[in-house]
Amino acid sequence: MKNFLKSSLQFASLGLASALVLTGCASSTTTAEETSAAAPTEDITSEPITLSFMGPEAPETFVPVIEGFEALYPNISVNYEQIPFDQLATTIEQRIGSGDSSVDVYTVDQPWLAQYAAKGYLEDLSYLSDEAQAAMPEAMYDVNFYDGKMFAVSVWNSTQMMFYNKDMLDTAGIEYPSADPAERWTWEEIDAASQKIIDSGAAQYGYLLEQVIAYYQFQAIAESAGGGSGIVGDDMLSLDLTNEGWTKALTWYQDSFESGHQPTGVGGFDTGPMFSDKKLAFFVGGPWDIGIFGGNDVNWGVAPHPYFEGGEAVTPTGSWSWGMNPASENKAAAAEFLKYASINPEGNLKTTEALTIVPANAEAAAAYLPGLEGDPRAAGVANIMLYETQNTARTRPTTVGYVQFDSLFSAALEDIRNGTDISSRIADLTAAVDDAWMLFK
Amino acid sequence: MKNKELLPALGLFLAPALLALIGMRLIPAVQAFVESLLKTNVFSGDKTFVGFDNYISLADNPDFQNTLMVTLLFTLIVNPLQVVSALALSLLFVRKFPFSRLLRSLVIFPVAVPPAVSAVMWSAMYRPDGLLNSIFTSIGIPTQGFILDEKQALMSIIVMLSWIGVGYWMLFLLAGINDIPDEIYEAAKLDGAGYLRTTFSVTLPLLSRPLSFVLVATTISNFLVFAPVLILTKGGPNGSTSLLMHDIFIRAYSFGDIGRANAAVFILIGLMVVAVSLQFFLLRRGNEQ
Repeated sequence: MKNFLKSSLQFASLGLASALVLTGCASSTTTAEETSAAAPTEDITSEPITLSFMGPEAPETFVPVIEGFEALYPNISVNYEQIPFDQLATTIEQRIGSGDSSVDVYTVDQPWLAQYAAKGYLEDLSYLSDEAQAAMPEAMYDVNFYDGKMFAVSVWNSTQMMFYNKDMLDTAGIEYPSADPAERWTWEEIDAASQKIIDSGAAQYGYLLEQVIAYYQFQAIAESAGGGSGIVGDDMLSLDLTNEGWTKALTWYQDSFESGHQPTGVGGFDTGPMFSDKKLAFFVGGPWDIGIFGGNDVNWGVAPHPYFEGGEAVTPTGSWSWGMNPASENKAAAAEFLKYASINPEGNLKTTEALTIVPANAEAAAAYLPGLEGDPRAAGVANIMLYETQNTARTRPTTVGYVQFDSLFSAALEDIRNGTDISSRIADLTAAVDDAWMLFK
Repeated sequence: MKNKELLPALGLFLAPALLALIGMRLIPAVQAFVESLLKTNVFSGDKTFVGFDNYISLADNPDFQNTLMVTLLFTLIVNPLQVVSALALSLLFVRKFPFSRLLRSLVIFPVAVPPAVSAVMWSAMYRPDGLLNSIFTSIGIPTQGFILDEKQALMSIIVMLSWIGVGYWMLFLLAGINDIPDEIYEAAKLDGAGYLRTTFSVTLPLLSRPLSFVLVATTISNFLVFAPVLILTKGGPNGSTSLLMHDIFIRAYSFGDIGRANAAVFILIGLMVVAVSLQFFLLRRGNEQ
């Protein structure tokens, strides 16, 4: 039954898949400047080879992709080693940094890529760039580039969408937002609707962003207001958070809490439950929430991520890529494994079998997305996600200083949403980031 | 003579402890100090000697100056508060009254809760729509910001830490009070001393050893507070809860700024040495008087 369901879903998704392939995977701006790194040419089909692969996920997550790969190359076996997420950065630092050859392939959180590439922790994979470009949406292809070279392949992707509570909108007499990306709501409309919802007593609050103080989610807001990513300069180590767009976005954000449209004091893992507990009408979250909200009794629907009136529609994106250890002694086999898990749609799809996450490969995504509409409340979500990854997804800026920026930015956004004066807090943030970035100067 | 014969055996038995002390305490401390004098190039991993530049750069940094001020203010409030509360509770629970055992267990109970779990629990209670505010509203007190309010955040953390700490430190004082021989109390009673007189002239002087241990241990453990800050406030709002240990963790593990993180560690150790020496000095003077 399950298989039948799956194959019929895949059949249904054929239309989407062809649409996707036609509308062009990656009419990208980034191309590998120099393909200095030649593809390894050793024969990998006869001798027994053991590849070792390191990442933060539970081992069962990668069983399907590893089994699929081992079936193609019976002489190669892949050993997966799980490193807890909070120890991953230090482990990579210690093992890859010291030239340990016992790791061949490892997972790379995309915003960290620049720093790893700059430190020489990632093998140049530019020889795979043409194939990657053909297989990936533009943002998922671009995100692996640093200094004109490709250092990893994208395996997973993410996007954001807006969940809404139909019963609350009915009570307040508001028409449901359309699932059509061409008719996406503006933040101004969300604010007006929120006021109505609060006034009519349909809910305590209007809306909430899932990762309420994360740059991942706020970048799309600032970019929609015309402020850019906020990180500029040739070395991408300067901040530009005081321009008109950023000021507009930050002011709007602060006001949304002051007016009570968004609830203050809720963060981390507490945001989703606010929607499930029917305390608010709109919730901007990720595809994983389809699974999470699948268990609640809210009469919800899905609409595209909002934007500012007169601004550009921009959505968050990004997730995990996989890269190769430059000290690996099995580079040819490792490259084949990376290709299978990312560029090969079948292999890429297998990485998502055990987890609700969007495959980065365009064809795999097209096969995967309709499955998310198994819950009738999620109707239209496949089309939304397809559209966003193709048209509005904006990756986080490629900078060696991302990690420091991300952490300091969250702290500042937390203060700003609680009412701190924006211009002085941004000045403090800029000083603190400049100080942390002294490491790179 | 006999002592000399014992020397090899002594050495043999002490060796594991000494080696552990050297390997796990002294060598890392020296390494940390050396690192605090180096600047590491993030890209190449090359280290250059920069003297006390890391210390100077920290001293010049307004955020770090704020961290020091917050840490000192925190220390000045939290330690007396916890010691006095623990003492008061131990004086209370040493007496028998209805439900005293049950109540004593309840006071000790928070010690058994992992610090991270306590922090998550308190963060839910401190929320604008959380338990504390709903109690406040029901008795007519306006909604408070707690950890979201710059003026209340540090105090909120102090309250949470005391909820955990007071019961723990009370145990030591309770044991100390129980160690005081009953005869002394009987003698005091025969001399006609009342409760207050007995407390101040018998209990407290004879409790001075456990009390000074508790004072020093509280001070040190409160200098090292870190998980609640990371979970509740991340040093905010506006740096108002930026305790030194949290600052060090962020520098080292979020920013990868090992040189300045190690410099900050030595500044923290310096502060602890000064604070504890001052306490010993005052305690000794108090005892001499």
